[in-house]
Amino acid sequence: MGKILPLKGIRVANFGWVWAGPVAGQTLAFLGAEVFKVESRQRIDMTRTLPPFAEGKPGPDRSLSNHASWAGNGSVSLNLKEQEACDLARDLIVHSDVVVDNFGPGVMDRLGLGYERMRRAKPDIIMLSMPAAGLYGPLEHVRTYGLSLTSVTGLDSLVGYKKGGPVPFENAFSDPLAGIFAAFAAITALNHRRNTGQGQQVDFSQQEAVMQMVGPAYMDYLLNGRIGGPKGNEHPLGIAAPHSVFPCRGDDRWISIAVHTESEWAGLVSAMGEPEWAQAERYSTLQGRIANIDALHAQLAEWTVQHDDRALAEQLQHHGVAAAPVLNVGDLLQDPQYVSRKTFLEVEHPLGFRETIYGAYIKMSRTPPDVRPGPMIGQDNDYVFREILGMSEERYRDLVERKIIY
Amino acid sequence: MAESVVQAGSSRGGALAGIKVLDFGQMVSAPYCAKLFGDYGADVIKVELPNGDAARRAGPFPGDISHPEKSGLFFINNTNKRGITCNVSSTAGRELFLGLLRWADVLIENNLPQQMRTWNLDYPQLQAANPNLVVISITPFGQSGPYSAWNGYDLNAFHLSGASSRYCGRPGEMPLEHGTFSADYYGAIAGATWGMAAVYGRDLVGGGQQVDVSCAEVIAASFVGSQNIGLVAQEGYFDKRTGVGMPLGAPATILPCKDGHVWMLALESGQWAGLCKVMGDPEWATLEMFKDMNTRAQNADILYSFIQEWTAEHTKMEIMEKCQAAGCPITAVFTIAEAAEQPHLQARDYFVDIEHPDLGRIRNLGAPFKLSASPGGPVEPAPRLGQHNAEVYGRLFGLQTASIASLQDQDVI
Repeated sequence: MGKILPLKGIRVANFGWVWAGPVAGQTLAFLGAEVFKVESRQRIDMTRTLPPFAEGKPGPDRSLSNHASWAGNGSVSLNLKEQEACDLARDLIVHSDVVVDNFGPGVMDRLGLGYERMRRAKPDIIMLSMPAAGLYGPLEHVRTYGLSLTSVTGLDSLVGYKKGGPVPFENAFSDPLAGIFAAFAAITALNHRRNTGQGQQVDFSQQEAVMQMVGPAYMDYLLNGRIGGPKGNEHPLGIAAPHSVFPCRGDDRWISIAVHTESEWAGLVSAMGEPEWAQAERYSTLQGRIANIDALHAQLAEWTVQHDDRALAEQLQHHGVAAAPVLNVGDLLQDPQYVSRKTFLEVEHPLGFRETIYGAYIKMSRTPPDVRPGPMIGQDNDYVFREILGMSEERYRDLVERKIIY
Repeated sequence: MAESVVQAGSSRGGALAGIKVLDFGQMVSAPYCAKLFGDYGADVIKVELPNGDAARRAGPFPGDISHPEKSGLFFINNTNKRGITCNVSSTAGRELFLGLLRWADVLIENNLPQQMRTWNLDYPQLQAANPNLVVISITPFGQSGPYSAWNGYDLNAFHLSGASSRYCGRPGEMPLEHGTFSADYYGAIAGATWGMAAVYGRDLVGGGQQVDVSCAEVIAASFVGSQNIGLVAQEGYFDKRTGVGMPLGAPATILPCKDGHVWMLALESGQWAGLCKVMGDPEWATLEMFKDMNTRAQNADILYSFIQEWTAEHTKMEIMEKCQAAGCPITAVFTIAEAAEQPHLQARDYFVDIEHPDLGRIRNLGAPFKLSASPGGPVEPAPRLGQHNAEVYGRLFGLQTASIASLQDQDVI
């Protein structure tokens, strides 16, 4: 409090659900917006039910992974199955600048909260919807999980071992990415509002946003008709060798090594003690190394596997080679880089437990964000209904009793 | 400096009209970040060293014949930008660059910190040139911390995030990246978001600032940390990759079919019933071991072999259409060609054609999101090397043609 963050004064009503939508709210909150996630005990967001729970005690306000991925959002509880609750949500929207949802197309309309209706109540409102495949088009009602959304972008077809089939990425990589991207969309719309006074509807298709990542392979298809497929950890455009992760000493320890330039190659050869194999004619040019990349990787692996990943990364860096340990989840809290940058931090939750979450994953030199613990359901009800919407104590109690505010 | 310069961005309109951006980056992260500004109407000037952005040498090239003006990577990440050259290693070049900084609202760069120091262009010097400047620096490891001095690329950043060890690859085999520059793109998008907020709130917060993006950290926190850090902190326990989509529920994996692959997902009971119906209610599906998503997961190998007998007989689109109609979130794993030719995306005008002087008329991915009142997306092709030197140095700085020629002769631009 007291510190001025760049989006101070912007209020967001976040109807986002599960992961992508809540991350959009979280991002805007890190940047200073006042964000209220609209949710309900009537149908608890499934991510609140995910273990592990703080101190091992289950409860919708104790899910640790949920708190990490949502921290920053506030929470207002409204049972949107009830018309009165929808009316209150409408009041909240009228008092907001930005509305976010990641329902399927048409859901906000059915709740009486669609853009055409809301713009009549608040002409400069910005309403951002982020369904899987956008608000219209033949696939508008496609059902996907965040886990599989990438399949309809072409991205999944590129993941896997060389010459093998696609290997599924085991979690919704696209969810937090789309959430952060949607926050960018919201800020561009805010900028337009500042320039012109106009609000607008933002049709944010997660498919289209995430498909931007396949740009390089898309261009190869356009220019050469080539349909890319899995190639392990080789460079996406085949312009570097060696370029992969290599085994190190220990169980499931690996090092990433990427060699683009002649000086990096010379550094690697020197770090290895200039073994004869590395001085072979076929490896003397980048072109040769790329043409013989399988053999090169196999020979390099025989050397790396004799070394500890961290020590080897240090040694290779000393020789100017781009190398870094491949971290597992257990390494993240101890890794010197993340410790130094305070990537993860412990916060005190209002229910009295401490929890480890992530904070400002981008460092702002002037406006580092405030990091708050994950929200309890309805923690901001008093403030929103009494202070922002000016509701009487009597009515507020009545609505709580009748589980409209719930 | 001339105030009345016609700005490429503002002539197109767009949500970010009026914002002036310098792209001093190469390859993917900074150029894509700057493209996001340009595609929504900012006036973006790309500043290249005399030998050009490395993306010009990266391809893909038509017919695999290298040509600095025909790189697909350069084309796709540099639309809606004017391009100039500047040799910042020279004293005169650095002076020109400082002049550009005074013009700009935003500088986006992805040089390693030691490189910026070598050029005497680290943040304190940038800030001294223009205290209102928002500097978005996107590097694999960030501007601070013990690895900030490390050499690194997209690959190193991605695998430092924990994402691959946890989520991608088979147990006992090497962890995998996506087959694209996923750390670069992730960092670019996050950098654009936080950087744009810094621009939006610049007057409110009292000036410019540095937005320090570590591609590794962004993924380690918002993707991997999000789902795992609470568990590892509280219980010291963590999971690793399994090679299937989801080990605790089934079906949830990619399976081969007649003409490729499908993402086979049917976890909830209604979804499973829908899938069974589409498969013709086979008798094996009624076995006790397949009664819910947990028991199906415990018997996943058997389950997947049964389902594959069926998928092998059907095409991906047939499976997707029938299963979607039956309420299952099952999708085709689109190849790049299928993704590029999708009727859905065509109906949404996701692809745009652009005339390029060297590549001819060529398609491009359009705007990543649709703003109803202020549409965005690529319009102008990526600039040729130094294409706008005369325009920018001449009209912006008021340099005469002769001075520009002389700067060229001295290899300053």
